[in-house]
Amino acid sequence: MKKGMIKATDAFERIVHWSLAISCIVLMISGLGMMFHSLNFLAVPVGGLKNLKLIHNFTGLFFIASLFFAVLMWWREAGVFEFPEDAEWIKVAGGYLWHVDSVPEVGKYNPGQKMFFLAVAIFGAAMAVSGLMMWFPLSFGAGLVRFMYFLHALGFVVIFAFFFVHLYLGTIGSPGSLPAMTSGWVTRAWLMKQHPKWLKETEHKGRLVVYGKEPAPREGQGHHA
Amino acid sequence: MKGTDFVKLIDTTRCTACRGCQVACKQWNEMPGLRTRNRGSYQNPPDLEWNTWTLVRFQEHENGDGVLQWLFRKDGCMHCTDAGCVKVCPSGALFYTEFGTVGIDRTKCIGCKECLFACPFEVPKYDRATDKVFKCDLCYTRLREGLLPACVKSCPTGALTFGAVDTMLKTAYARVEDLKQDGHPDANVYGDKFVGGTHVLYVLGEKPEIYDSLPQKPAVPLTVIAWKDFLKPLSLLAAGGVILGSFLHYIIHGPKSPDENGDRDAT
Repeated sequence: MKKGMIKATDAFERIVHWSLAISCIVLMISGLGMMFHSLNFLAVPVGGLKNLKLIHNFTGLFFIASLFFAVLMWWREAGVFEFPEDAEWIKVAGGYLWHVDSVPEVGKYNPGQKMFFLAVAIFGAAMAVSGLMMWFPLSFGAGLVRFMYFLHALGFVVIFAFFFVHLYLGTIGSPGSLPAMTSGWVTRAWLMKQHPKWLKETEHKGRLVVYGKEPAPREGQGHHA
Repeated sequence: MKGTDFVKLIDTTRCTACRGCQVACKQWNEMPGLRTRNRGSYQNPPDLEWNTWTLVRFQEHENGDGVLQWLFRKDGCMHCTDAGCVKVCPSGALFYTEFGTVGIDRTKCIGCKECLFACPFEVPKYDRATDKVFKCDLCYTRLREGLLPACVKSCPTGALTFGAVDTMLKTAYARVEDLKQDGHPDANVYGDKFVGGTHVLYVLGEKPEIYDSLPQKPAVPLTVIAWKDFLKPLSLLAAGGVILGSFLHYIIHGPKSPDENGDRDAT
């Protein structure tokens, strides 16, 4: 660890993130294996589609638990837009799409991340409800179950697309971001670029945890759950 | 389409409700007869079940003139050309046969029950014990050997006949004409006007709405069409668009990197 690195996330945040991420990926792959006949072969390693269905269903339970903690942990920071600064940020698309001289300073999460969080929270919940009803469809009315199949497919369209946005911006699209979810330590330069408001505020409050420095009076800028 | 489409014609006006077809179906398909309860009707069991793929429905109907009729209708899979069950089946267990009928390969069935909700006729039935779905396959095993479906073979009155689609349609419409001249003004052919045409046709003596459990305008549910014909391709298009967009973003606009001098200590 290099001196001067700053702690951006705590272990609980990262565990919840990866629980959600891994269950989501398993659900998407197993779901695709059942959605497209041409992808039925994805069931071969697990011994057939019936097993793939079971893996999908039980991973769904793990996903629901992860989503519960994710929403509990992040809704306050990532689920609420703040005006006018978030509107200003959206107007210039955060400087991601065209050249912008000055992008409004971002706190812990930028509006794009907030949109991603809300998409995951809302459509994740829709996937949970529809998925559970699809698991036990005979317990519900036919019209309702039919709507749930539709909703499950709609949720997949949204989450599948957002997954790749997240993958790109969490890796090569925004260098320096990935460590926030691996070790939890990020560089000051990355924070100045991506979350300057959070950096300044946390520093002002004396809560910034910097590697190689005296520990701050109180640790943890992570979840407030 | 491979080969000729075949159709089973059910002429309800010739049915005497002997239920020979019900028994023959069970025998050929080796389905058990389970104990049922006397509900005061010959219709037994009360509905199609996983072990009962065809069922004669008994219905007392009083027409406008106060005349009581006893209507019999052999119910079962209609073998749609545009079959909702085949559309939703994730494993390919439900499939179109070379005869245009809808077959079912139960070794592939994963018990997801999606077909139960996609069928406009509520035909597929689920068995909890085997975690499989069952329905009539119009005796696919017999058809492949050049034999008639077991129900047709057993029918003593000619209410059930089987043949190439064109022939059977002609037969059906000719029969309806005869019936109309013979005091059945509402006689009609049921099955050729929806879901791409069914491979089971009815000659009905009365209007379709008179009959129990017979949908007047059966159709693959809109939610199924939205799901399979719209959202399913859209999922790939949207994700593909995002991947392409990300690539273009990377090579045109470039990633959002921290500034060179951003690492200086701000304190």
